Formats: sequence, C-alpha cells, structure tokens
Amino acid sequence: MSNSRAVTRRQLIVGAAPVVAAAPFAGLAFAGRSQTEATHVHGETHTGHAAMIGEQVPAPGGPTDLDELTYPPPALPHQPGRVRAYTLTAHDLDIEVAKGVTFPAWTYNGTVPGPVIRATEDDLLRVHFANGGSHPHTIHFHGIHPANMDGVFEIVNPGETFTYEFPARPYGMHLYHCHATPLKKHIHKGLYGAFIIDPPEPRPPAQELVMVMNAFDTDGDGENNFYAVNGPAFYYARYPIRVRRSQTVRIYLANLTEFDLVNSFHLHGDFFRYYATGRSEHVEYTDTVMLCQGERGIIEIDFANTGHFMFHAHQSEFAELGWMGFFEVVD
Amino acid sequence: MEARSAAENVPNRGRRLWVLVPILLLVAVVSLFSARGGSLLELVGRNPPPPDEFDVRRVEFSPGEIRVRVTNPQRDDLTIATVTVDDAIVPYEVDGPTTLGRLRSATIVIPYDWVEDEPIAVGITSSTGIQTTEEIAAAVETPGPSGEGFLGYAILGTLVGIVPIALGLLWLPSLRRASPQWLAAFMALTGGLLTFLALEALAEALELQAGLPGALGGTGLVLLGVASSYLALTFLSRRLGRGAVEKGGVLGGLALATLVAIGIGVHNLGEGLAVGTSFALGELTLGTFLVIGFMLHNVTEGLGIAAPLAEGRRASLARLAALTLAAGAPTIVGAWLGGYLTNDVLGVLFFALAAGAALQVVVEVGRFVARRAPGGLTSGHAVGGFLTGIALMYATGLLVG
Repeated sequence: MSNSRAVTRRQLIVGAAPVVAAAPFAGLAFAGRSQTEATHVHGETHTGHAAMIGEQVPAPGGPTDLDELTYPPPALPHQPGRVRAYTLTAHDLDIEVAKGVTFPAWTYNGTVPGPVIRATEDDLLRVHFANGGSHPHTIHFHGIHPANMDGVFEIVNPGETFTYEFPARPYGMHLYHCHATPLKKHIHKGLYGAFIIDPPEPRPPAQELVMVMNAFDTDGDGENNFYAVNGPAFYYARYPIRVRRSQTVRIYLANLTEFDLVNSFHLHGDFFRYYATGRSEHVEYTDTVMLCQGERGIIEIDFANTGHFMFHAHQSEFAELGWMGFFEVVD
Repeated sequence: MEARSAAENVPNRGRRLWVLVPILLLVAVVSLFSARGGSLLELVGRNPPPPDEFDVRRVEFSPGEIRVRVTNPQRDDLTIATVTVDDAIVPYEVDGPTTLGRLRSATIVIPYDWVEDEPIAVGITSSTGIQTTEEIAAAVETPGPSGEGFLGYAILGTLVGIVPIALGLLWLPSLRRASPQWLAAFMALTGGLLTFLALEALAEALELQAGLPGALGGTGLVLLGVASSYLALTFLSRRLGRGAVEKGGVLGGLALATLVAIGIGVHNLGEGLAVGTSFALGELTLGTFLVIGFMLHNVTEGLGIAAPLAEGRRASLARLAALTLAAGAPTIVGAWLGGYLTNDVLGVLFFALAAGAALQVVVEVGRFVARRAPGGLTSGHAVGGFLTGIALMYATGLLVG
C-alpha cells in the first residue's frame, strides 16, 4: 500500500468525522512512546491520538469529585471510650464507572466505594445503618468485635435500620463490606469501603490518601470490564494526585476487586515501605505489592524526585482497563 | 342484465368508499394506542431491558489502524461508549454520532499497531456497559480497492466462472451424436446439477440470514428472493417458449439452454460474492487447490448448458459465447461486490435469487425430459442421469469445501 493513499484515506476519515473519543492509555506508556509520537497523525503507524494524562483522558467526573474518598478525615489522638458515630445509607444508584458507561450500582451513601470510616484504637464505633436499597444488606466490618455486630446474621431488609456498635480494634488498615448473600453480587455491585483504625501512638505526619482497588462487571458475564481505584476508570490519569516531595505519602490500600483472584499496586520511579494490614510488625521495601480480595495494607512513599510518576496494577490488563493513575510530585 | 348491473353500480360507489373505513379506524386505534399504550403494557408486566449488543458487520485492518463497522440491531438506541482491543481500552474515532438509532451503522476507526497473523479481539462497550466482542482468528491487512485487486478478482472470476463453462460446452459435438436415451440422461443430469445448486444456494441463504439482525426479517427475505427469481424466470421461459408451442409447449434447444445459463449465472453471482467476501475478510485462503476445485465444479455447469443445445438447431459460436458469459461472468461481478462491500442482506438476497432461478430451470428441464425423452421421467436413463448430476456436484463440491 502506498503512503500517499494511506494519507488520503485518513484524510477522508478526518473529513467525515468529528473526533468523538480520544482515550488515554496505559499501553502507550508501556510501549515507551512519547506524547508527540502518540499525537502524530501522518506516521505509518501510530498507537494513539490522545495523551494518557490530563484533560484529554476520558475519565468521568470533575477534578474534586473523588476528594472525599481520596483524602481521609484526620486521625484523632488516643482517647479510650470516645464515641465515633457514622451514618451509612444503602441505596441503588446508576453511577458512571468509565467515560460514558453507567452501571446500576448498590452504594453506601451514593459512592462506590463507600465513605472512609476512621477511628482510633479503643474508640467506641457507632455506625447507624439504614437500608434504602431494594435488597437486604448488612455491613460486615473487619476487626475484633462481638458476633452479633458482625453483619452476617443481622440482615437489614429494605426500609429497616441497624446500629453497629463496638470498640475499634486492632489498629491497622481494614475494610468493610456487605455480607448479605449472594456475597459476590453484593460486593461487586459496590457495597464496600475503607476502614482505618489508628494506633494509640500516632503515626508520623504524612500526606494521607485512601485507595480502594475495585472493578466493575458491567455486562454481567462474571468478568470485569473496568478496573480502578476509588471508582471510575482512569480518574487519577485525568486528575493526577498532587503531592509534595518533602513529605511522606501514606496510602491506605485495600483490595475489593470481585471475580479476579488478586490485584496489585505498582509505583513507577520509586520504592515504598509496605505495612501488611497496616501493622508495624512487618515491613517490606518494594515497588510492587500483590493483594488478595480483602487484603489491605499501608504504603509509605518518600519521593526522591519530582515529576509525574505512574501508579497502576501490575496486571497489564487491569491497567489498560482503567486501573492507572499518576502522582504529580512537586517541591 | 345490463340495467341491473348499472343499478348496482350506484351503491357500489358507496361500498368502495367503505374500503377506507377499516383503514381509517385502524389509524385511529393505532394512534390512540401509541399515545396511551405505555400504561396499558404495564398491566402485563415490565419489558426486559434491551440486549444492547452491537452487530459487528466488518473488521478491516490497514497499517496502524483497525476499522470496525457496527450496526445497532435493536429497536432502542445504542451508544458506543468504550472500545477495547485485546482487553485494553483504546482511543477511537467514529464517523458520525456515537448514538445509533435502529439499524443505523457507524465505522469506528482505531489507531492500533496490530500484529500480523495473530488473533485479535475487538470489543465495543455500550453506554449501559454491555460489551460486544468480535474475535478475529488472524489479523491480515484488508485489500483496499486497488487496480490490481480489481483485475485480480476479474481474472479469478474468469478462471473459476467463464473458462470451465466454456470447456464444458466443448462436449456439445459429442452430445449431438448421442442417442435420444443418452441425451435424456444428460438432460436429467443437468436437472440434477441444478437441483444441487438450488439446495446449496437455499442453505447458504438461510445460513446467512440467521446471522442478520432480526429486524431485517431474514426468512421473509429468502422467500422473497426465491419467489421473485422463480416467477421472473417463469415469465422469461414463457416469452422464450413462444416459438416452441408447436413442439407441445415444451421449451427445448437454445431457449432451454438460455434459461439454464441464466439460472447458473444467478447462482454464480452468489458464488462469486461468497468467494470475494471470504477472501476480503481473510476467512478464506484462496489457494491454488481451491481455484482448481471451483474449476472442476463449474465444468459440470458447462455440460448442463450443452445438453439442451444438443437437440434442435445448431447454435452459432456467438450464441455459445453469449451463453458462456451469461452463466460465467456473474462470478466476476459477484467477486467484485463481495471483495469491496460486505453486505449480508445482499448476500441473502443473491443466494435466494439463485435458489429460485435454479428451481425454475429444474422444472423446465423436468418438463422437457417428461415430454420429449423416450420413457419420460422414470426411464432408467433419466433417473440415472439425475442422480449422477447430484453425485457429480457433490464429488466436485468436496474439492471446494
């Protein structure tokens, strides 16, 4: 095929067609192509027209939409017996999980994942749960608590409420999710969230972030169509998380991906300390961690350099289906 | 009598207008229902959501680019939201709006560095999250409309369509020397060949229509095609047969041969279309073996045209050439159509037309054998010839399958 004809055909396409979508993409970065190469139109081969970072990336939502889920409330000092009250309401909601793709989710307080629940060890946690959804739900917290607060037997039917009350322990990074059956359905529909219990001895100050790894099976075939952290695909590629190099970045990471056996977190250009389950007994120094569903931990990064650093699942498929983002490290 | 009918004519005018009454009432009921029917339907339960799956018509590969033609096969609108290649979200452009109405099509252009000869899967996800995946066994560059390609299809069409039929016609002198029994056997053989072709075309049409969106009414389309060509050829045979009335109203000689050639020609249009399409989509390895297979298969078609010519007046060389072209040239046209546009509706229609045409010619040949052959349809020569025709088609067809 002659080069001139290729150009002619491409011009035809361009002439006939408005540019409708320009997606981001992880594949580009993996192939090590520069942005200029990617946007180059008349080349013999070109892998993409779009940038893989910034406004060009077709992720749903605005720049502050995920702030509530990304930035946890601050830790409070150790004060045994203090009551920490939260209200969670389950309701059915259509959410945009990837640009232009809606998913009929089941949510806690209207977001997937649900709100970050945070307490300090020995606080008295009181969670009022109201079921405004169309199916029976519960909240099952990970941690140490009485059997009747476990969210397994106390099924909350639509229109009913239940109050979970128990002392927050042990300290670490935990999670909560619905434990009504069928479990797989109730989890993949979106009923889960991060649950942080701070140690009595406060952790050193840091820029704190929460990342709940999740995925959506939008066509019900038992395989996920989109992957992400904190909800929508490619969100943090469109809106990179800005952090300062001078201060430790602490990520509360949990895996609530349904259908796939494991998920993972990989950081570009740096290493981090990984505390499994957010405990201090065991520390690993690495740039990649692998988590089973329900596994979680704390990542602490002291960035050596400034610039844009990618983070993503080191399952290439997950990354290319939305689980990819950037840190913008500044001085 | 006349006075009476004239008197009846007056109230008849009123009755004629009465014809409009059901139509007007139907319009009224339909518009009332479409305005208020939604609440009525809820009485019998909720409709399930639409499947929201795209119909992937064609996937084309060119260097650095994949082009996917999709159609919305359902009543509800369908919106292209995300496109994946091998389970990775990719950038794409659409040649128009991303929301497709009923039976609307769009071409999705994906810049992609695909790997030759390797399997690839293209996924189109709707705004409701339903992914339609099209798996391609091996990515091969799709031939574009080039001069060489055009010429290539023409040469190929000539080789598998025209040449074998011309060769088959060379049996004509031998057939002319054959006894009436043997001539009947060869006529019956022609009938067998055409019966085989009719069945093959019908099966092909039904198979193709099964893949069409339901809204396009596949089986109805097949019936329409079969009936149209059958009736058109019936009409044609009456016109051609005007001179044959003195022979007992049975078409013979050149007229019957013309009909056979047209029947075979319509069939070859479909055959060419199938070959061209499969080749263009990389589904068919157009190897030497396949071309040889088609040539052997189609030589028998030449024999079919030669048999009716064996009796009656000698046909001029120009006539023979015209018959050869009528039967063989449609292969070239079909190959061009199939190679450059893929349209399954066209495919269904062509094969249905082929089935109807072949059936009509079978009937015509049957009448010929019944009236003119010694012993009629049940003579050993006729039965043997018919079965041999089918067996011959089957055996040479194996070479193509």
